Amino acid sequence: MKIVRNWSRTAWVWIRQVSGDAAYENYLRSTRRIARTGEEVARVDSRTMQAGCCSTHATSAQPLTREEFYLHALQRRYSTVSRCC
Amino acid sequence: MKSILKIILWTAIALAGAGALAAIAFERSEPLNAVWFVVAALCTYLVAYRFYSKFIAAKVLALDDTRATPAERLEDGHDFVPTSKWVLIGHHFAAIAGPGPLVGPTLAAQFGYLPGTLWIIVGAALGGCVQDFIILFCSIRRDGKSLGQMAREEVSKRGGMIALLAVLAIMIILLAVVALVIVKALKESPWGTFTLAMTIPIALLMGIYLRYVRPGRVLEASLAGVALVMLAVVSGQWVNASPAWSSAFTLSGPALALAIIAYGYAASALPVWLLLAPRDYLSAFIKVGAIAALAIGVIFVRPTLEMPALTRFVDGNGPVFAGKIFPFCFITIACGAISGFHALISSGTTPKMILRESHARTIGYGAMLMESFVGVMAMIAACALQPGVYFAINSPAGIVGKTADAAAATIRGWGYALDPQTMSALAQRVGEHTLLDRTGGAPSLAVGMAQIFSGTIGGERLLSIWYHFAIMFEALFILTVLDAGTRVGRFMVQELGGHVWKPLGKSGSTPGILATSAVMVGAWGYFLWQGVQDPLGGINSLWPLFGISNQLLACVALVVATTILLKMGRARWIWVTLAPMVWLVAITMTASYQKIFSANPRIGFLSQANVLAAQIASGATPAEKIAVTQRLIFNNRLDAAVTAVLAAMILVLIVEAIGEWIAILSGRKAAVLHESHYVATRWAEGGD
Repeated sequence: MKIVRNWSRTAWVWIRQVSGDAAYENYLRSTRRIARTGEEVARVDSRTMQAGCCSTHATSAQPLTREEFYLHALQRRYSTVSRCC
Repeated sequence: MKSILKIILWTAIALAGAGALAAIAFERSEPLNAVWFVVAALCTYLVAYRFYSKFIAAKVLALDDTRATPAERLEDGHDFVPTSKWVLIGHHFAAIAGPGPLVGPTLAAQFGYLPGTLWIIVGAALGGCVQDFIILFCSIRRDGKSLGQMAREEVSKRGGMIALLAVLAIMIILLAVVALVIVKALKESPWGTFTLAMTIPIALLMGIYLRYVRPGRVLEASLAGVALVMLAVVSGQWVNASPAWSSAFTLSGPALALAIIAYGYAASALPVWLLLAPRDYLSAFIKVGAIAALAIGVIFVRPTLEMPALTRFVDGNGPVFAGKIFPFCFITIACGAISGFHALISSGTTPKMILRESHARTIGYGAMLMESFVGVMAMIAACALQPGVYFAINSPAGIVGKTADAAAATIRGWGYALDPQTMSALAQRVGEHTLLDRTGGAPSLAVGMAQIFSGTIGGERLLSIWYHFAIMFEALFILTVLDAGTRVGRFMVQELGGHVWKPLGKSGSTPGILATSAVMVGAWGYFLWQGVQDPLGGINSLWPLFGISNQLLACVALVVATTILLKMGRARWIWVTLAPMVWLVAITMTASYQKIFSANPRIGFLSQANVLAAQIASGATPAEKIAVTQRLIFNNRLDAAVTAVLAAMILVLIVEAIGEWIAILSGRKAAVLHESHYVATRWAEGGD
């Protein structure tokens, strides 16, 4: 029973990820990670006085709302070849 | 002990694959079961993945998991997003799997099952997968740069421009040919036309839901959309049965072509959230579901292949398209074996999301193996039909005649049993008025799929619904390719146009959007119209043109890959990309030459134009057909010119690349790689 539950949960997570349903949550997670890395880099930078030498991470001040993110993601996806023949 | 077991296991897999391939190649005494094809394909894929892709990963590319990928170094939450390899392989497969691996093998079945099946399996393992994998790797090492950018930096500036023009050309021809496939499948078919038409309001509803009601909730919107589409498929039978509704949705080929051109323009110019994106979600769900259902159905039903291993049309006089196995089998099946278009996806979004370099093997090589398996499934579905039925559906009226009696007589003359009643009964069973003169592959594939599906669920009662489900599935994702392709093509035209007149290049300018959309739609619409008017069905001229351009793009990708391998100091391993490249150059140049200069008017564009011109000059063409014939002459000459320009562009690139290779190998030029600098990963080993 536990195995079935675990498999179902894994399958559900996979379907949400592949379908793009979890894209906004991924974005927020990514934004938090970038912010954390930015803070670490800033701490290192303040100690070594070598600003920006360790990372090329983009940092953004305020995360986009779900609606903004959705529209933004669509614009980016459909301005390049995203589907094959 | 463990390693001995491994050796025994892999030897067994290799022997099973070799045995199945031998049965496919040499068994002639009785019709083969589809299981042989499934075993041959799966065992070959397992061996190729386990050994060949591992060799490429370890020796040729020396993948390095200590190196941070662009997804880690440049993470921005938008384009550069670290993604688990099992999720990314799903994204990548959904992006590369289009109508090509379904339609190409169906058309190539006219040679029999043997040549196409071998090409799909071997071509993918040694060519297509290698191309996708290595281009993905090259793009990862260059911060996710596109094929064009890599060609410009690693080969020559001209190489980048050639890649851009080749992509635009292939896009125009691709969109025309897939639109033609829809026209051929839906003409005079009220059920199919109704179902496809209903997907437009369904997509609009989904678009509004995803934009205003529950932004970005893709799963729930898609599931509701799929349910509505299934309802539309079932409701189509009542539309078909009602005289008034049936006549409203019965469209001729030219009327359908105009409707599709208008749709393409609207989809390209409308906001992307309204129609394009929701249709794409819908199509992706149905595509993956239908492909999985087909694979399960083939394994469950285990159909017998009625088509012989080789047909009489290996001589080049096939009714579906003219030309011998070499080179035409290898350009007819592009996606499924090797497709240049995949290089655009492998150097598009995927390299920006990959977590570790070693994942490129699973995603690049593995996803292409899955696509190859789709091609094998399509070949099985097409060859499970009686050969007479297959040829009756796929042959143009210009060759077999316009009536069922004429078609049956012609096909019997070729040695394949068929009586006229079989075709009318089959048409009735699948809910169509006729299945004759349905060139393009989609209807015969739909009949094959419907037989497999109805053998699994529903039996004969559901045959007509399964047929229209299969037609809807093919048409739906062809329309998605059409609108997404038109939009990307519009951006390319804007980029090129911006060099001529700056306001045209502004992506947000409404007149610019409308004008460049019109240019793009006009370009593929012209070729579509040409195909619809063609008395030989259009597929005979347009599909080879598409195959040639797609394989030429694969040549570009393999030239770039070979150059990069040389610059990396891997000269001893360049045969990995050089061998498929030489093969592709041989088939594309031979096909291009034959399509332009062959004396057979069904193959050579120029000889077809000359025959038509001679008919006008001798007075054999009726006065009312002179204008149409003159247009056909122009179209044939245009097709010849397009083929010549594409071939010439690639030859220029190859000559430039060979010059570069010689200079590097002789030490006259330093091998300068344009890779991004090494940065050690900050993530723990083995984490996903």
